[in-house]
Amino acid sequence: MNAAPESKSARPVIRMMVLTATALCVGAAASFAAIAFVELVSALNAAFLVAPRARVQWERLPWLITLATLLVPTLGGLGVGLLHRHLSPQRRPLGPPDVICAVQFHRPLPDTRSGLVSTLTAILSLGTGASVGQYGPMVYLGALFGGAVRQVRSGVPNLDGIAISCGVAAAIATAFNAPIAGLVFAHEVVLRHYATQAFAPVTVASATGYVIANVIFERPALFLVEFPGVAHGYEFGLFALLGVLVALAAIGFMRLVLACGPWVAGLISHPALRPGAAGLAVGLTALALPDVLGIGTETLRFATIEGAFGQGELIVLILAKIVLTALCIGAGFSGGVFSPALLIGSLIGALFWALASGVGGIATSGVAVYAIGAMMAFASAVIGAPLTCILIVFELTRNYDITIAAMVAVVFSNLVSHRLFGRSLFDIQLARRGMDFSKGRDRAHLAVLPVTDLLSDAAITIGPEDPPGKVDARLADAGWRQAFALDAEGRLAGVYSPSEGRTPATLIFEDDTSLADAMERMRGFVGDAVPVVTREGGRYLGAVAEADIVSAWLDHVARTREEENAAL
Amino acid sequence: MPRFSLVLLALLLGAPLGAQDLAVATWGGAYEAAQRKSIFTPYTEATGQAVTAVQYDGTVAALRARAGHEGWDVIDMLSDQARVACAEGLLLPLDAQALARGPDAMEDFSPHAATRCAMPQNVYARVLAYDERAFPGVKPTRIEGFFDTARFPGKRAVQRGPDGILEWALLAEGVPPEQVYGLLSTDRGLRLAFRKLDSIRDDIVWWNDPAEPAHMLAERRAVMAEGFNGRFFDMAARGAAPVDIVWDGRIIGTEVWAIPATTDRAQAARDFLSFALRPSSMARFSELIPYGPTRRSAFAQIGLNPATGVPMRVHLPNAPQHGGRALIRDSAWNANTRDLRQRRFEAWLKQDE
Repeated sequence: MNAAPESKSARPVIRMMVLTATALCVGAAASFAAIAFVELVSALNAAFLVAPRARVQWERLPWLITLATLLVPTLGGLGVGLLHRHLSPQRRPLGPPDVICAVQFHRPLPDTRSGLVSTLTAILSLGTGASVGQYGPMVYLGALFGGAVRQVRSGVPNLDGIAISCGVAAAIATAFNAPIAGLVFAHEVVLRHYATQAFAPVTVASATGYVIANVIFERPALFLVEFPGVAHGYEFGLFALLGVLVALAAIGFMRLVLACGPWVAGLISHPALRPGAAGLAVGLTALALPDVLGIGTETLRFATIEGAFGQGELIVLILAKIVLTALCIGAGFSGGVFSPALLIGSLIGALFWALASGVGGIATSGVAVYAIGAMMAFASAVIGAPLTCILIVFELTRNYDITIAAMVAVVFSNLVSHRLFGRSLFDIQLARRGMDFSKGRDRAHLAVLPVTDLLSDAAITIGPEDPPGKVDARLADAGWRQAFALDAEGRLAGVYSPSEGRTPATLIFEDDTSLADAMERMRGFVGDAVPVVTREGGRYLGAVAEADIVSAWLDHVARTREEENAAL
Repeated sequence: MPRFSLVLLALLLGAPLGAQDLAVATWGGAYEAAQRKSIFTPYTEATGQAVTAVQYDGTVAALRARAGHEGWDVIDMLSDQARVACAEGLLLPLDAQALARGPDAMEDFSPHAATRCAMPQNVYARVLAYDERAFPGVKPTRIEGFFDTARFPGKRAVQRGPDGILEWALLAEGVPPEQVYGLLSTDRGLRLAFRKLDSIRDDIVWWNDPAEPAHMLAERRAVMAEGFNGRFFDMAARGAAPVDIVWDGRIIGTEVWAIPATTDRAQAARDFLSFALRPSSMARFSELIPYGPTRRSAFAQIGLNPATGVPMRVHLPNAPQHGGRALIRDSAWNANTRDLRQRRFEAWLKQDE
């Protein structure tokens, strides 16, 4: 918990070199890995008849298509379940929450083997058509390369977190062909501060990803859209309304994702069988509604074309995609929520447009801007990154007018979902693991530090039989004003002071009290130290001195300040 | 000297030994004339081997029915037809490395890859052309204009079949070229494409023979036409009609050389192929007719048309200087979805009545 002492860190020139080398190496590795990931998934999609372009070429054998639709996701899910069960020490897919946790608390990532298995199962999940996203696993894959830098002793403070962020930024920059969005995503979601020390290498890594994706592999922009501009001023009001509605849908989606895990666990006791069951559900739905299979690149494009879907069709597809995505993630398929969020959002946008222009009779500037606005608004509510989403629109569509329109939908969506649900799905998942970022980074950091770390056994305790005169002398010797009275079983009975005699303790901490709680509860407390007891049984463990709590807090503030303001 | 005597021998013996000529099945017309001048004659001069051209309609059915008893040795095909024929065992497998000469040669062919039985030989494009006389003011510059009868009124000449027009329909809906085949692979995509086709239903004049669309423009039977770039070039170059090509939305297809499995002169056929696949042969061919070479190195050798003096590079569909959208024809996809598209196309035609 100590601030990184200046004496231990390397000279600025060395630090600069280490940071640049880290950014270049991690950025390049993450970028190549992201490209390989995408290519593998698309090869599997073609081989397993998940991609429409592959399915249509076997159209003269309808039984083969039906069989593949049912079996591929089911067997894929079974494979995912078994791989997690038998090869992964963590036994679950890893994703952005694990990355955020590692960077925020300066911890190592979960073990590399689990990370690799998680990447493998993500490729399998996406390749066999599960309704999950590809960007979450890619973020983790990028982070995995950054995490490897932790092994290097470099003398650069905060290097591990910066390296992980570099990997994340490069993966996003490559996957979306969007270097600015990659850079902002790493800061907005993972680092959550903008120190130059981190900003510079993350930018370099993001640019590296861009160079590799764009110059070496010449990948086109993902979502080119032609849009001449918003035709009517009042449409910005519609974009805001759309943002609010999309946020409500996104909240429903996130609640369902969170609820599905326990629900599936209650239904199927064997964890390895759960993804297979979810896969079967996807396959059965896909027989009638092939759009739900996989990432849905085609469906995403259709949402921007007027009249591609009927209104009834849209409603069914939106509901099916929400339920199946929640089911797949809850059942343990390895994959993210971002791509499904894009798809669901764009379909909601298309539905909103159809209602506004068709039923409402309002003149609009076409479906594309509504689909894209809603797509990013939904995704932004889910990943809690409005800036990233606005920039992704810009870099994906290369269209300024559409970006401005989407921006309005994104902020209104974020406003509502942050107020009613939380900053993001990741943050709520982390909060459920006891890491609550809703009141800021510093609160979250202090909340995971137990006061028991600061316990001192120097405090004076007295048993039931100790005579008061002797106690007064011991207190005077040690320079304490209070002693803690224990009963025969070692439980705290009260506080003894020479002036007031024995009184009940005014403030007691339990063994699970965090530093953040302690700071709040100590407001108005007078005394040397606060006794700490076990929550069960009330056994006395020791006491924490008020001064120790304050210095721990000061150390923490200093460290955070240093991290957030470091220039190099 | 030996070359000269061989030619002499061929000239002397050519007529009586007609059966020993290498029979090349190809398309006829200006296309065959260009092949004769740029490839067949130089080949005969170089080797003494006479070449006879046989015309056919480009279908696998014709290959199946005629190749054996007419003694075809080499065949010029569309790449997707070659794919089907190869799968049926109608063509001999080829060793691309040996035919193209040298390990770097494969790189030179990119992005037109050799397949198991076929070597890419030239590149053509299905393009939009219009009659300059019909649009003295604003002229169509994009594929969207083909479906916009309000801005560009008049008849449209379209091939009576599902090739090309469905791709255009989606391009006109704003779908980027990379996604066109993915979207056309779904039922929804086909429905959208036919919906777009509905918007010009009353303005379509159909054609079946690739020579027709250029004539339809010249004779003012249509103001815009879907057709092959060579035919339109020909019409304009002869000064017959002011026909202009819109390169946006061009669908680039590949023409290939292959060897029918029924030939009894496989080695002679392979010799011919390796001559035809030289960059210099390709460049000579592209100078005569605006079909692009499949080897990048051939571009540097393309100059003026020997008869008209027209610089030919700008008229080639894959000329590096063209802007706009270009769709590379996916021949595997085209071959495997032909039945489905034909079925849907006929169903759409019937809605008319």
